Amino acid sequence: MKFGGTSVATPEARMRSALRVISAKEQGFKPVVVVSAIGRRGAPYATDTLISLLREIDDEVEPEAREMDLLISCGEILSSVIFAHTLKTLGHSSQAFRGGQAGIRTDGIYGNARIVGINPVSLIRSIEQGHIPVVCGFQGTFVNEPGAPGGELTTLGRGGSDTTGAALGAALNADAVEIFTDVDGIKTADPDAVPMAPTLRKVTYDEVAEIAHLGAKVVHPRAAEIAMQYGIPLWVKNTFSDDEGTEIVSRENFPGRRVTGVTHTGKLVYLQFDLSCAGESDRTLLESRIYETMARYGVNLFMLDVSPNSTGFAVPRSQYGIVENVLDGLVIPVEGDPRRVYLFQIGRQASREVETQAKLLGSLGEIRRVPAALTEGCTMVSLVGHEYMQQPGLFLNVLSVLSENQISVLQTSDSDYSLSVLVAESERDRAVKLLHERFRLTEVS
Amino acid sequence: MTETLTCDLDPEPAAPRAIETEFEKRRGVSHTEVRDGYAQVHVTNLIGDVMPARLRVLQAVADASVSIDFLKLTPSGLSFLVSSDEASRVKSALSGAGGDFSLRLDRSIVMIHAVNIRDEEGLIAMVMREAISEGTAIDHVGDMHDRLLLVVSEADAARLNRRLEIRLNEEVTLGN
Repeated sequence: MKFGGTSVATPEARMRSALRVISAKEQGFKPVVVVSAIGRRGAPYATDTLISLLREIDDEVEPEAREMDLLISCGEILSSVIFAHTLKTLGHSSQAFRGGQAGIRTDGIYGNARIVGINPVSLIRSIEQGHIPVVCGFQGTFVNEPGAPGGELTTLGRGGSDTTGAALGAALNADAVEIFTDVDGIKTADPDAVPMAPTLRKVTYDEVAEIAHLGAKVVHPRAAEIAMQYGIPLWVKNTFSDDEGTEIVSRENFPGRRVTGVTHTGKLVYLQFDLSCAGESDRTLLESRIYETMARYGVNLFMLDVSPNSTGFAVPRSQYGIVENVLDGLVIPVEGDPRRVYLFQIGRQASREVETQAKLLGSLGEIRRVPAALTEGCTMVSLVGHEYMQQPGLFLNVLSVLSENQISVLQTSDSDYSLSVLVAESERDRAVKLLHERFRLTEVS
Repeated sequence: MTETLTCDLDPEPAAPRAIETEFEKRRGVSHTEVRDGYAQVHVTNLIGDVMPARLRVLQAVADASVSIDFLKLTPSGLSFLVSSDEASRVKSALSGAGGDFSLRLDRSIVMIHAVNIRDEEGLIAMVMREAISEGTAIDHVGDMHDRLLLVVSEADAARLNRRLEIRLNEEVTLGN
């Protein structure tokens, strides 16, 4: 049973969560609890608050990833101890465990570690002794080889606590993994855009992974992947209601064709590089350099578009600063006849850096500008489906409803499970609502 | 295996040792594969307001009950992928739907599998760099939660597939 930040945020919330654990125990199960840090952004012990303790010392100095992991893992440690004590006050013996104490071994990537193995011996022993183990989500220990002494505390990155829950469920061969949050389960759309969006009763692991990747972060795809791999039934439930929640099942157990939901991502910036100034061999060089730079700086790309004379992609708004820093004013000299220098310019107006580069580089060869059209304020709205994306007329249906309602589609992207459109962020909720209506998702369950 | 911290918790003899379960050991690309048998359709020179013209093209294809993938909007039209078996039906459907169209047969999809590929910072860009450096002409790119899909000619697909498997595995293993 994994409890998210809001489920452990207040004494009342912890009490409700603890009573759910006790109820499971009284039904004959042997519950193992995983907890997130207390509260969400802004709460005193939430991960973001802990990070700000270092940032406020000097925002210009990047903290060491190792020390950052030690710091942010404190949120879950506090939470696990408080939750265990809450259970104790209700008459149920409980023991709190750090990730490493619970046998969670990770690779050595601070801040984004992967679980490489779990030996749950200490949890099994705790259960056998009649305790309810409460494990810190989001963390593990890196040891060079199994059994090596000591170890470094690592955190699991995005979706870490969900991942802890699913992985422990698999390691303990659990009957089910239940992820408790503050919504009734996985809905057909963001309730902010579609207040009447129903809760899905069943979704497949693939659907949930796609939904989560495309914006709806109710359960993290890493958790779904692990549960899928080990065949562990996974549930998303609301701590604060008696709704039955959403069961995440394998495709074999839920065959059929349908549209599952409409999701949206956060803010995106779309960049389209015009490579028409370059000959064929230079175009390969330029494109290759663009992607190499994005890879080196760890930028996540969406909606990729490769055409003979251009290449484009969307990047998260939060990463656009990096993209602008490394690509605006980027210079690629090419020897040959004529000797030429490619100079990247993002946006219509050349920045001071680009103008300076142009002046300085004039003597080195013919300067060829590579302009990149910039579209800010975009978002990706996606239709997620289950064996439905190959339905003839699906694209027509999506583009028609948006066009009829004067919503411009900048680009599209699709896969076996989803069909996405890039639209202005200001049209996001309207696009979600229109697609939700067009595909009659209020009737889905 | 010894887990010294848990020993502090309980002085009793250790419980039977559980077997360690392996999880997310592999980061990055796990494998690649090729799906053959597609045709790429390019529709250009749509006149007037492009979006209604695109919708007319899509309507004609839908009326022919042809399923399409990898739709891309271009300045004067659109492109998409169909199964090679549907190529002749698409051809008939598009005659008179507006604009000019061309069909490129013998297209393949190279699938690069990597769990959570969209969350692995820079991984999609790394795959793109490898594919482009190889000199392959990519018709289209798509992605899913666990894979990147590149549409290329059948002739290029096998070569690209081999190259990607070797290079990405090397890089991912060494880089991470």
